Amino acid sequence: MSATIEELDDDSPVHPGEHHTHGPSDKQYFTIFWILVAITALEVSTYFWDVWFGEGSWPIAVALLLLLMVVKFWLIASFFMHLRFDSRLLTRIFYFGLATALAVYLVALTVMNIWTDNGNPWYNDPPPNVSPPTTAPPAGG
Amino acid sequence: MADITLEPVEDVEFPDDIHATSTGISNAKLAMWTYLASDCLLFGGLISTYMLYRNRPGEVPGIAGSPVRASELFNIPFTSMTSFILLMSSLTMVLAVNSVIRGDVQRMRLWLVATAALGGLFLGGQVFEFTEFVNEGLGFTANVSASSFYALTGFHGVHVAVGVLMLLSAVGYSMRKELNAEAVETLGLYWHFVDIVWVVIFAIVYLIP
Repeated sequence: MSATIEELDDDSPVHPGEHHTHGPSDKQYFTIFWILVAITALEVSTYFWDVWFGEGSWPIAVALLLLLMVVKFWLIASFFMHLRFDSRLLTRIFYFGLATALAVYLVALTVMNIWTDNGNPWYNDPPPNVSPPTTAPPAGG
Repeated sequence: MADITLEPVEDVEFPDDIHATSTGISNAKLAMWTYLASDCLLFGGLISTYMLYRNRPGEVPGIAGSPVRASELFNIPFTSMTSFILLMSSLTMVLAVNSVIRGDVQRMRLWLVATAALGGLFLGGQVFEFTEFVNEGLGFTANVSASSFYALTGFHGVHVAVGVLMLLSAVGYSMRKELNAEAVETLGLYWHFVDIVWVVIFAIVYLIP
């Protein structure tokens, strides 16, 4: 009995060393590119929102920026990097690394009071002034 | 307990000249994805450091130098243009991959050179930006805000520079020997990751006030 690689591993749509040919076409890549450009333009526009809509708009701008950043990240990873068309194992490896980084640094930043102290952790405050040690004059001088 | 029968490995059919892997994914590609996953931690650390110190200019007399923050010197229209350039380089990279899949080596070389040129343009923009900042008195050691900014964007710049070198090496290699599609795709993965990191840096460092 013989088996092909696909039968052995459902996650792997391609033979090792072979290239999958069912990725997006050039035209589809251009479409994704223009979507990314449009998102970037929207991102840049948020920089000027406080002038256009007033100071009160910045929380919305920050939320929108984070959302757009995630969408751009996903579009590039899924289509340009072919995660949507490749083995799911690769998706798991990459997003595991990403999730680990997010978790580690969110905890680190939280421990350093970044959310409550505007990024000024207490241990990074300037050191106290220390006066130079006084030395006794030499005897018999 | 049920008996488990394993099929002999010798019966698996592989294409010619292909080394079998237990995952069905080539080692090079798997290694690149693992490297990229680990690189998330590197850039996560640098971005976190910048977030922590972005509001720490050297405003305390005698403690640190310049009271200027890096974010006060940002030229958003200029950086938007360099971001667009890097985004465009991702497009040329995928067009190179599609070209090599079609067997169009000439066009693949063209798109790879275009990608490298756009990467070089991005680096030129970064050098210009750094020079402007230094001229404003914000050197690498001016204050912790500046140091964390230069460390983050500098590391990203080094990644871009390495990518440009790899792209040009791939073009040179393809002149002498056949470059298979997967090698170009693996190179593309690195290049797109550099773009993805910039997407995050651009939003978090440059645009969020």
